[in-house]
Amino acid sequence: MSTATATTPVFPTFEQVYQGLAGQIGMLREMAPQPTKSDEQRLKGAVDTLIEETNADEAVWLESCIHCGQCTNACHYFQATGEAKYAPMRKMDLYRRVYQREISPMRWWHRLVSKPVKLSDFEEASELIYDSCSECGRCTMVCPMGIDTASLVHHMRSAMVAAELVPPELAALRMEQKNMGTVFGSSPDALKQMVDTIREQAGVEIPLDKDKADVMVLSSAVDLVANGNGLLATAKIMNHLGIDWTIRSDGFESANFGLLSGDMSLWKHQVDPIIEAAQKVGAKTLVIAECGHAYPALRWNPMLSSGELPFEMMYMSEFLGKQAKAGNLKLRPLEGKVTYHDPCKTGRRGGAFDEPRAVLKAMDADLVELPANKEYNWCCGGGAGIFLLENATRLRDESFKIKIREVNDTGAESVVVSCASCRLNFEAGRQKNHWDKQLHSLVELVADHLIEDETTARGQARGAAA
Amino acid sequence: MSLLEFARGPAIHAALIIMVAGFALRLLGVLVLTRGADMSRPRDAFGNFKGYRTVFSRAWPAGEFTTTTRYQTVVAYVFHIALLLVIVGIVPHIEFIQSLTGLSWPAMPNFLGVALGTIALASLFALIFRRLAKPAIYNSTVGDYVAWVVVALPLLTGLMAFAHVGLRYETMLALHILSSALLFAYMPFSKLMHAFWFIFSRAQSGLAYAHKGVRI
Repeated sequence: MSTATATTPVFPTFEQVYQGLAGQIGMLREMAPQPTKSDEQRLKGAVDTLIEETNADEAVWLESCIHCGQCTNACHYFQATGEAKYAPMRKMDLYRRVYQREISPMRWWHRLVSKPVKLSDFEEASELIYDSCSECGRCTMVCPMGIDTASLVHHMRSAMVAAELVPPELAALRMEQKNMGTVFGSSPDALKQMVDTIREQAGVEIPLDKDKADVMVLSSAVDLVANGNGLLATAKIMNHLGIDWTIRSDGFESANFGLLSGDMSLWKHQVDPIIEAAQKVGAKTLVIAECGHAYPALRWNPMLSSGELPFEMMYMSEFLGKQAKAGNLKLRPLEGKVTYHDPCKTGRRGGAFDEPRAVLKAMDADLVELPANKEYNWCCGGGAGIFLLENATRLRDESFKIKIREVNDTGAESVVVSCASCRLNFEAGRQKNHWDKQLHSLVELVADHLIEDETTARGQARGAAA
Repeated sequence: MSLLEFARGPAIHAALIIMVAGFALRLLGVLVLTRGADMSRPRDAFGNFKGYRTVFSRAWPAGEFTTTTRYQTVVAYVFHIALLLVIVGIVPHIEFIQSLTGLSWPAMPNFLGVALGTIALASLFALIFRRLAKPAIYNSTVGDYVAWVVVALPLLTGLMAFAHVGLRYETMLALHILSSALLFAYMPFSKLMHAFWFIFSRAQSGLAYAHKGVRI
């Protein structure tokens, strides 16, 4: 049965996945919640949030900008449009006004000379806080002051939650996750259904809800409601490695619309059950699915003392890389020249650079690095939820042309990504531009290149039975 | 009291007091704020300390950005170095510093002082021309232009006094000292505070990224 999977695809191609998902995203705008509070409350909430979240770090960064303009060189949205308003330094202007009037040691002066902040100021800032900043951090790499604009934008997103000014798509998903615990309907039932489908149609066993396991794996909404191949590939690899693993229906969702919208309490609310489940099963390793922002949501969650947890959290690419480095992954060679795109959240803002490259090396891949790579990689333009925003379509499309140019420069035939958002954004860009490159997800690429032999068959049996 | 006496006496002293008090107010007012704790486990146990490298490494743009930032970086460096040398290197300045602190050191020849002052002023013009020519990149505020004028005035008046052009020498000198007083008093309340902030700002980001194992 398991050999049949190689020839008959169980799930649609990623091209079809993207098209299906694009339709669902279109419906989000209609589902967006309307503001419930008065304008005064919304404004006060936004200002109070910024006051509460401003520590010395934020204050120093807000004080430090000298308007030297260097950040414009780094920002894909500015470079793609050349429009002044998208300059990264502009994205902290409103925050700085609030800071100057409320927190700064010079606040008595600023209150005399500046106008009070209005709710309409926050409304106008929405485009800068959501549509045109993927919090990729590239501007920090060039700023002579080293200002971390992405962090400041993230605090602004928190303020926008309080001001009830989250863009409709993110607001709808935030409310779904807050009220129903799902994203695009990715409920525990949907997970069970997907696990059953994979078992029945692909003959691959997924050990769902085991009481004890060494490795707890997360899935993501994109995998559960659209791209079954992601979870199928994960299962094939885990079984191949003969690992004692599980997926838990009480903590499986990587996506975190608390983090993406700026809702800190939902961020925490979404993380807690995952941590609990991992502790319950006695996991030594928690593997985060290829869902870029889930990495900072869990691994770099500043609210979580992860050093005290009995398990290690790692991104899928890190897990695969460690396995490859340990020589556990026996992979068939990858044909053709490839390049690797570091997702902002796992690369520059995550530090997982070596592991995905180790995986490609294990496939003996002819890897050509992008002209700007690793810490300097250009964002694909779809991160931090921007892929979902209709209003950001032009910004996304224009900035993706930078990515096309970079990839074309390498002469690679295909691009490997390890983030569902990047992949969807790449797929959108590929289709819109009739781009002749192939796209691969790292986890699916590994699953497709596993060398199946007797030992792996034993491993699969052991993994499934355990 | 002549204008020169006023400038040399109460004006410059008041300005220096305002400057020191302003530095203290603004630095302490910010640095006493709480530090947000990142509780996540660092990638390497002691890796965070590597973040302090950013304070030094960011002194020059990374290779990725050398072409696009060349003009700004080179001109800004020329300006800062030339200005610093003039401030601490010419006879009248050393005499002034000695009157305040008792410290002194050998001065540079006058022609060099004039040359460096001219270079500093020229580079300041080179920076403002670019700022004016590329409004989208700089997003300038009133504060940017005021700071430019306040920095340019002491340079301009100093060179004029030195070269004996413009008004009477004593008047030019008084104007030079008064404009310097304006600069001192204005510094703590403007973007010129970046003279201090850059250390903290770079260190913070360096640490935050080093925590994740990223070198910026």
